[in-house]
Amino acid sequence: MNPVRRKRLILIGLMVAGVAVAVGFALNAFNQNLMFFYSPSEVVGGKAPVDHPFRLGGLVTTGSVQRMSNGLTTRFAVTDNTQTVTIEYTGILPDLFREGQGIVAHGKLNENGVFVADEVLAKHDENYMPPEVAAALEKSHKEATGQGGTTP
Amino acid sequence: MKPATLPQAFAILLRRDLTLAYRRRSEMINPLLFFVLVTALFPLGIGADPELLRNIGPGIIWVAALLASLLSLETVFRSDFDDGSLEQLLLSPHPLSVLMIAKVLAHWLITGLPLLVVAPLLAVLLNLSGDATATLLITLALGTPVLSLIGAIGVALTVGLRKGGTILSLLVLPLYVPVLIFAASAVANSDAGLPVNAHLSLLAALLVLSISLSPAATAASLRISMS
Amino acid sequence: MLRFFHQLASPRHFYRISGKLIPWLALACLVFTLTGVYQGLVVAPTDYQQGDSYRIMFIHVPAAWMSLFIYMVMAAAGVIGLVWHIKLAEIVAISSAHIGASFTFLALITGSIWGKPMWGTWWVWDARLTSELILLFLYLGVIALYNAVEDRRTAARATSILALVGVVNIPIIHYSVEWWNTLHQGPTVTKFDAPSIDLRMLIPLLLMAVAFKIFYAVVLLLRARVEVLQRERNSAWVQELVKEHE
Repeated sequence: MNPVRRKRLILIGLMVAGVAVAVGFALNAFNQNLMFFYSPSEVVGGKAPVDHPFRLGGLVTTGSVQRMSNGLTTRFAVTDNTQTVTIEYTGILPDLFREGQGIVAHGKLNENGVFVADEVLAKHDENYMPPEVAAALEKSHKEATGQGGTTP
Repeated sequence: MKPATLPQAFAILLRRDLTLAYRRRSEMINPLLFFVLVTALFPLGIGADPELLRNIGPGIIWVAALLASLLSLETVFRSDFDDGSLEQLLLSPHPLSVLMIAKVLAHWLITGLPLLVVAPLLAVLLNLSGDATATLLITLALGTPVLSLIGAIGVALTVGLRKGGTILSLLVLPLYVPVLIFAASAVANSDAGLPVNAHLSLLAALLVLSISLSPAATAASLRISMS
Repeated sequence: MLRFFHQLASPRHFYRISGKLIPWLALACLVFTLTGVYQGLVVAPTDYQQGDSYRIMFIHVPAAWMSLFIYMVMAAAGVIGLVWHIKLAEIVAISSAHIGASFTFLALITGSIWGKPMWGTWWVWDARLTSELILLFLYLGVIALYNAVEDRRTAARATSILALVGVVNIPIIHYSVEWWNTLHQGPTVTKFDAPSIDLRMLIPLLLMAVAFKIFYAVVLLLRARVEVLQRERNSAWVQELVKEHE
């Protein structure tokens, strides 16, 4: 092997090794918390920032939505099926906001552990189907699990 | 005379660039002054509410660092191109990509490292906490070399152009975005008392990736621009 | 076979063959678009959650796919041009940039229009949206660099390198919805566990995706032909062509 070619091979080997190390660092990062929003379990577990605004995501708990007396403020709970957090929001909710729907709210925790949101966004899922199919699916799901309503 | 080995050539090139920079000290100081001034403009423009400054401080410092680095980029190859020594460099028998590392290293020592020195001062001006300042220094140490490495590709592509400056920012800034996002949010997270390991790990990944790939891209771009 | 490709790569043959291909491709594009629009607006049922608003997906999703696909084509053609010095590959690479930028812009705009009623906002800085925006800037950078360098061949080679550097962004866009908790929903079509999308909704989506691909091919050929003529304007065969049309 001539020296020029050997040198070039060494350089390419170093480049490949460098890329491998970079991938290692990136994988290490993805194993940790790097998120657009926090889940209710993380908030209850104290992993979310105190005194700092952050985003909270979860499913709106069935039967939790209440309008307050001033007509604009809504109080509801979000869950990740393990923990729930109460959210208070003043303003217009998006079209897709309904019970059982995934939402992302931006705001701060107050001293009572209530999340005061200044923005509520609805996260729609990746499923597209006509209403009849959705109804049929839900029915078969209920029959399969032998119970009504959402997961406790 | 015996021809220089690769490590010798690397050292000679590095020392030459540092000497040149030392002779033109004002060019070295301008981006640094720019960095400080831009950061100081924000409290004047937005108002000096300490809480607000603390929230937007990480972003401001990083955007200013980005712009300062962009401003100094042209000096990597400009004078070498003007006096013809860049063409001499292309004729060297050593792998051009390794020599490019020397050029970028010199550029970082001249323009990136001083940012780290004044950053704590700016952190105080913007009311960042002690933890956040420490994280800011780590992110600058990991991030500014990435800026120099990526920027060198852009400069190499535009070195022969008359109006290279504006094009350069258009080419380089989109590629700077990941560094800005992860670095600024690492500092903001540490100010809020949250873990920052994930962000720092990603910045390290960007650094290693750009060290391994960008010198080759810079060398290839330079050969194309100079052909 | 190899000889066919070699011939195709010569600008003259490319010009002749592409001239014959374009009308057929344009016809196919029209057929796919019309059936896709009919299927999408008339046959496909309304969605159980989103009502009729979801129908913008038939433009948004294919446009977003195209924005990534065209970038990959551009980078691949750039590599071929850099390594084997094939002029036609350089032309394909640079002709793709404008089309790719347009599709990226279309994906961002339609996504924004979709996001307002569904999410409740025109724009969020989540990973998917941000990385798609960076993609638009990368395309614009490629175009700007190509226009700034005077010599066409140097310009094409320089933009190929820039395009190649930007490839890093492609996996980030694609996997952003899986790596990060984004507001943007996860992939639908490439996910295999049913039920994700109703068949009557999937068909127009795929029809439109094919229509967009053919549209890209048509516009790419048209742009490439112009570029070929400009670059070869001093060669004998172009002079002959001009004389024929006089």
